[in-house]
Amino acid sequence: MRNGYIVHFRFIIRMKLALIMTTCAVMNVSASVYSQQKVSLDVQKTKLSKVLKLIEEQSDYYFVYNSTNENLNKEVSVNVNNTKVLDVLAKLFNKSGLVYSVSKEGLVVVSQQQQVSVSGSVTDDKGNPLAGASVRVKGTAVGRATDINGRFSIEASTGNTLIVSFAGYASQEVAVTKDGDIKIILIEDNRMLNEVVVTALGMKKEKRSLGYSVTQVAGESLTTARENNVMNSLVGKVAGLDISSTSGGAGAASNVTIRGVSSISQSNQPLYVINGIPMESKPVGVGNANSRGNSGSQWDNAPDLGDAISNINPDDIESISVLKGAAASALYGSRAKAGVILITTKSGKGNSIDFNSNYVAEKIIDQTNWQTVYGQGANGEKPADGKAAAQVGGSSWGAKLDGSPVVQFDGVSRPYSYQSGNLGRFYRTGSTWTNTLALNKTFEGGSIRFSGTDVKNKSVVPNSGLDRQSFNLVGLFEPLKRLTIDARYNMILEQVKNRPMVSDMSGNANFNAMFLPTSVNVDDLKPWKKENGFELPFTTGNTYATNPWFAAYEFQNNTKRDRSIASLTAKYTLENGLFIQGRAGRDAYNDQYRNVLPTGTAYYEYGKINEQQTKFADINADILVGKAFSFGDYTVTPNIGASYRNTKMSQLTNSGTDFIIPFVYNILNAKNKSVNYLESESETQSVYGTAEFAYKDVFYLTGSLRSDWYSTLATPGYDNKLNSVYPSVSGSFIFSEYFKPSWLSYGKLRAGFAQVGQATDPYQTLLNYNFRGENLNGAPLGSINNRNIPNTSLKASIANELEIGAELRLLNDRVNLDLTWYNKKSKNEIIFNTTTPATGYAAAVLNSGEMQNKGFEALLSATIVKTENFKWISSLNGSYNDNKIISLADGLKDQLVATSRSNVGFIMNKVGMSAFQVMAYDNKYDKDGNIVNLADGSPDRGELKAYGSAMNKWFAGWNNEFNYKNFNLSFLIDGKWGGKLFSATDYYGYIWGLHQNTVERREEIGRAAAKYYENTANNVSKNFVNSADFIKFRQLIIGYTFPTAMFNNKIKSLNVSVVGRNLFTLMRKTDNIDPESSYNATFPGLELGGVPAIRTFGANLSVKF
Amino acid sequence: MIKPIISTLALGLLCVMGSCTKDFEKINTDPISYGKETWDPNYTLSSSQLFYTGSFDFAYDTWRGNLIYSATMMQGLSTVISYWAGDKYLLNEGYTAAYWGNGTVGAYIEQVRNIQDVIVNTKGKPELNNLYQVARIWRAVIFARLTDLYGDVPYSEAGVGFYEKIYKPKFDKQQDIYTDLLKEVDEAVAALKTDGDRVFGDVIYKGNIDKWKRFGNSFLLRLAMRLVKVDETKAKQYATKAVANTLTNNSENAYILHDESGSRVTQNRNSQVLLGDGGQECYYVKWSNTFIDFLKKNNDPRLGLVAVTKLYLKDDVKAQNPDYVSNPAVQKGMPNGKDLSSDPKYKISSDPSFTTFPDYSSPNPKMIKRNGVTFILTYAETELLRAEAAQRWGIGGSAAEHYKNGLKASITYLNQYDAELVVSDVLAESFAVANPYDASKGLEQINTQYWAHTITMLDFYETWANWRRTGFPKLTPVNYPGNATSGTIPRRFPYPSTEEAINGENFKAAAAAVPGGDNLAGRVWWDK
Repeated sequence: MRNGYIVHFRFIIRMKLALIMTTCAVMNVSASVYSQQKVSLDVQKTKLSKVLKLIEEQSDYYFVYNSTNENLNKEVSVNVNNTKVLDVLAKLFNKSGLVYSVSKEGLVVVSQQQQVSVSGSVTDDKGNPLAGASVRVKGTAVGRATDINGRFSIEASTGNTLIVSFAGYASQEVAVTKDGDIKIILIEDNRMLNEVVVTALGMKKEKRSLGYSVTQVAGESLTTARENNVMNSLVGKVAGLDISSTSGGAGAASNVTIRGVSSISQSNQPLYVINGIPMESKPVGVGNANSRGNSGSQWDNAPDLGDAISNINPDDIESISVLKGAAASALYGSRAKAGVILITTKSGKGNSIDFNSNYVAEKIIDQTNWQTVYGQGANGEKPADGKAAAQVGGSSWGAKLDGSPVVQFDGVSRPYSYQSGNLGRFYRTGSTWTNTLALNKTFEGGSIRFSGTDVKNKSVVPNSGLDRQSFNLVGLFEPLKRLTIDARYNMILEQVKNRPMVSDMSGNANFNAMFLPTSVNVDDLKPWKKENGFELPFTTGNTYATNPWFAAYEFQNNTKRDRSIASLTAKYTLENGLFIQGRAGRDAYNDQYRNVLPTGTAYYEYGKINEQQTKFADINADILVGKAFSFGDYTVTPNIGASYRNTKMSQLTNSGTDFIIPFVYNILNAKNKSVNYLESESETQSVYGTAEFAYKDVFYLTGSLRSDWYSTLATPGYDNKLNSVYPSVSGSFIFSEYFKPSWLSYGKLRAGFAQVGQATDPYQTLLNYNFRGENLNGAPLGSINNRNIPNTSLKASIANELEIGAELRLLNDRVNLDLTWYNKKSKNEIIFNTTTPATGYAAAVLNSGEMQNKGFEALLSATIVKTENFKWISSLNGSYNDNKIISLADGLKDQLVATSRSNVGFIMNKVGMSAFQVMAYDNKYDKDGNIVNLADGSPDRGELKAYGSAMNKWFAGWNNEFNYKNFNLSFLIDGKWGGKLFSATDYYGYIWGLHQNTVERREEIGRAAAKYYENTANNVSKNFVNSADFIKFRQLIIGYTFPTAMFNNKIKSLNVSVVGRNLFTLMRKTDNIDPESSYNATFPGLELGGVPAIRTFGANLSVKF
Repeated sequence: MIKPIISTLALGLLCVMGSCTKDFEKINTDPISYGKETWDPNYTLSSSQLFYTGSFDFAYDTWRGNLIYSATMMQGLSTVISYWAGDKYLLNEGYTAAYWGNGTVGAYIEQVRNIQDVIVNTKGKPELNNLYQVARIWRAVIFARLTDLYGDVPYSEAGVGFYEKIYKPKFDKQQDIYTDLLKEVDEAVAALKTDGDRVFGDVIYKGNIDKWKRFGNSFLLRLAMRLVKVDETKAKQYATKAVANTLTNNSENAYILHDESGSRVTQNRNSQVLLGDGGQECYYVKWSNTFIDFLKKNNDPRLGLVAVTKLYLKDDVKAQNPDYVSNPAVQKGMPNGKDLSSDPKYKISSDPSFTTFPDYSSPNPKMIKRNGVTFILTYAETELLRAEAAQRWGIGGSAAEHYKNGLKASITYLNQYDAELVVSDVLAESFAVANPYDASKGLEQINTQYWAHTITMLDFYETWANWRRTGFPKLTPVNYPGNATSGTIPRRFPYPSTEEAINGENFKAAAAAVPGGDNLAGRVWWDK
């Protein structure tokens, strides 16, 4: 950089154009012909005024200035060859103490730079003040935030440019003149290219300063085409974010992983931070206290009890920031290993009443392709009578369907013919109706927002649904100058009726509707009760195969959640810019779960009841102090902080069996009762500091250091190290400030390195004992309490991540490209290593695994067409993640993660392979490589082999948005590739003779065909390993925004949209199931007995008064 | 709300000084469980004893291992229920693996885990000597059944995952296991002290050390007799030791009395299944005709006690008919290997014996009470084994005398199920006199009675093991399509396939070493 020409000067007085001492927009020169003029100069220590003269000689530019200004006598050296005049001027006047402006005609007015105090206000296009917008002097890293009423004041010099930016809005640049008050209006920009994003600890930062990748999504994109679990709305929208919903029906959890599996055995779910208050959202399965939900085990037969994030109302979300890498999330230390998702909820904006109403209808997509040749029966025979029909129950190993009358399980004779469409008959058309009313009020010194939302969901599963009411109150106040108070209270009441059972068959409507024999019509299983109210079983030979209607209408799996999330943030900024911020929040919920196995259930007719109450409270508090210091072009911003977190949970379960008076479902009516109680607590204390160095607004370097102390590592009697220290460093360089070819409008390189970690759940360190809830004739029954072999010397796991990226804007910002490469390696993984029960335990807590995730992410977005009336924006995001288990614990080469109910499919981690390998049995081969068969000709079982990871490798989402006048249309297509899925549905398709493949040799084998195919299924289970690749037409929105003039401006805005989600599957490789099926959010790669995939369509009305 | 901010500030400062984490140990101690210091291993013993009768979770292993397989293979019970694979020698891997279990249920996680912990926590503690010795005997009881069912199994490295950090235990040879079991029981019996600590957690003998000594010796005799085919020297050596002090009468029978109030966890395992809690077992599971015919042929007084007809009248009604019929004359067993299909070769209704299901004999409801007993080891078994030892080696008295004692006891003990199942001593005596011991077919006589007796105990695991050891009684196998043994009675449970995924190398080595292969027809070491 050659910018240090401090020189002397002589004055040139050019009076003839003195009238042009007016202000001109600095950047407004692009249209001028002059702008293309070029000059060549080679001068050493020459007065600035002389240089200007030389330029005048070579070009049509001419200069006006006050010849008495000493600054024009400063000597400069400049050597340029055929360079644009404007670029030469920028160099010449840099740090000269002078400012200049260029008119269209080529007149350059040079004047003395002046320090002024600029104040102004920032509003949106509707005049609502934007609180917390960033106002920064271009070329420096010094900035200020607007106050609650959107006002700011900042020291600047004339000729400076202010950059005003706000999350979710396009940035704006404003020239500083002598004039005091500036009004800045920002326009919303939902292209996910936001200039300002929310980063760790809730700090809003300009994207240019970040040395890592952050993707921010605006709240609007979550509400028009909505999902009950808000995270599902992000599918396909963010590179590097893998979201899979589970087949658990209404209120089910979602599996969210960022940049691949981040932990070998512990939670892979990101940390959610809502308005600065962390919230962990572990679905049942890993470390979740709720023992009653589906935990993904082989024998599991329980409903999906959902996760914490699904309670959050999308209407209240202002924006979601996804901090993907360790560098971004390093400030969250031990909780950041799986990435962090920051959610900012809406606060009061202007004075308005917003109303949003959304109605969608839901229909299942039947993806089965069962055989239609053979009917219910066994041994190739039709059932001889009703009793026999009931005995063979679920089996489709009968005779060829011939339409002849056959007595069925209920003694009624019906034609022996194929009954297509059972799933369609069993599942009803569901619906979700969401209404949100929000009131906004802004007043001097504050704003307030209150919103209430009601969600009424009728699930596709009969007799099941979800109701949720949420209330959100947000107040922002400035009681004293420079003291802001942000107080939020969110109350959520959620009632889910009959969360459907998933996985195994008992009490599971999904399972039993799915595997109904070919010749049985599901409607014939109605009424599902006998006269005495007992279940009418369609398969007495297997009473666990519950009549699906009975399962849906008589079983109860009801949950009630009463949750409140409160937070208070106070920030005081001193005159000199030093700020102190304190924040405290509490997320607490009471859950009630009631599970009733009704009187008359075929597999346990006396009935059972469980009443479970869970209390959870998570308290987080933190404090942060910081200030920016400027030294010329350099800015240093140190922050230090500390945080405290305490999580407590208690759970009381009353179980009862055998109702004294049948059909009366309360715990007191149970003949045998037992009680269980558990409690847990954990605490983390942290201190941290960050320092950001900036050179102008061109180069940024940020370092941070955090130390966490965990209670979960503390072991009585052992002096374990309780803390870990997590460093990070990241930098960004806006190279386009120095190298800017005509096609490039912005270019940035970034790199970051950080260390993050993960501790573990409480009570993993010591062996302890407990009593069962029951006793034997008064004798207490004691036992070891630990399921896992405890580890007395636990240490936190550590992940190191390096990421490098680039952001480019091309062709006048029409095309944007964001690329990231990362490499993340973790060690000291805390592994819950499944052990043989012969060890005496289900698993061992080990602490030495290593894992790696490498990958890249790309986001390409382009404004393909942009005319006055028509705009087409297309954006494509893609990512690739390659995971590898480098080592497990000493001497261990593999780890069992989960077992399919079929018992012949497994998910394992294996050293040297990517995590979650889908394992199945291969054929047995003799030494010549021929397949070995059993005596009956069915294949013998060979080796248990790995067939690939259950985690997808490639992800892509393609979003298109068209705007024509007041119409808009958008659609999203997304796909995932490279993952495997073990289909227990296909397995049972073999066992019960429903699978197409079981048709071929039936006649030939005859009576033993069922056994033959059962052997085939059990011995060569690789047949059930499916590729989980898919491409789906995920979302379509067609909307119309009414011109406000239509309503005499009485209505501020009115938008109506038609929406559809999961409309078509464009590609899949699974035979009978949806490729995204899974019965548990924690263990991908296994599926069985879940709710089929759902297609939704509906309408959205959004109105603002 | 301001308070947390202030306390955070304070905490932050404290942390820097490193003092606020000192309550972390307390926080990370489960507040509602017990540490080693406060725990008494007697309570753990209770669990390991109860779970020997079957899993806490709906008789998981009992249902599959004892009833579905052992009971039907031994033709004690018979059924047409399609998933009762054992009746037809079909392989259901999930069922044969059930006794071994998984991370939640089964012998290792319920029995071995607990008993091993008792042993670790009592070993070398003189004040807990008796508890330690009882635990050693009990561990032998637990492992004997495991190894009898599967052969080579993890033994020396089993259940010590926490203490020894062994995560992939090796499979010990059954020969080595038996050698150690014999040594353990022998030593433990010798070390029991009548004036020592009271084993209050013992739910079998309530801490009666004399009974434990006799139990230990009787069990030692059972272990020893298992080896007659493969190591007669050792069998004789230990049998000789054991017969010095075995159980002396039915009042010393080892059994666990169940409790209805604890639901599945404490109710009688066999009863839960046979009462139809999980299906239609109550209606479709019957005494096998092999067993009933045996009782009938000998005019056995047990017939009128253990068998009833018309107990369940409809397949979907679980209420018992109070007017069930226990008249011995009408009792009728159901043949094994039948089904409900329409193929006349297999369908039960084509069998000449068939009239209606309620006409087939069910176990007497007094034997299958929810709060009934599970027998573990009885005087009658011991006397029969002593008869065999006397017959083989001339030790411990006269074979005829022991046989007679055994036969009488096997009739009179039934009142321990229920006071109403009573046969007078006089009648038992006259029956025994009418069916005297005949040394020329002594082993067959003894072991056929052992078969019948263990069937009435509903301890079909033991029935199967003793049958495999002796070959008596001579049973006629069924031959059902798709059976896994070419129509022979299975002789071993294959290893759980899940072991391949969690203990792969040890599993593969053990599976490869099974004579006859890792399947239902393979054999354990002592079953040459």
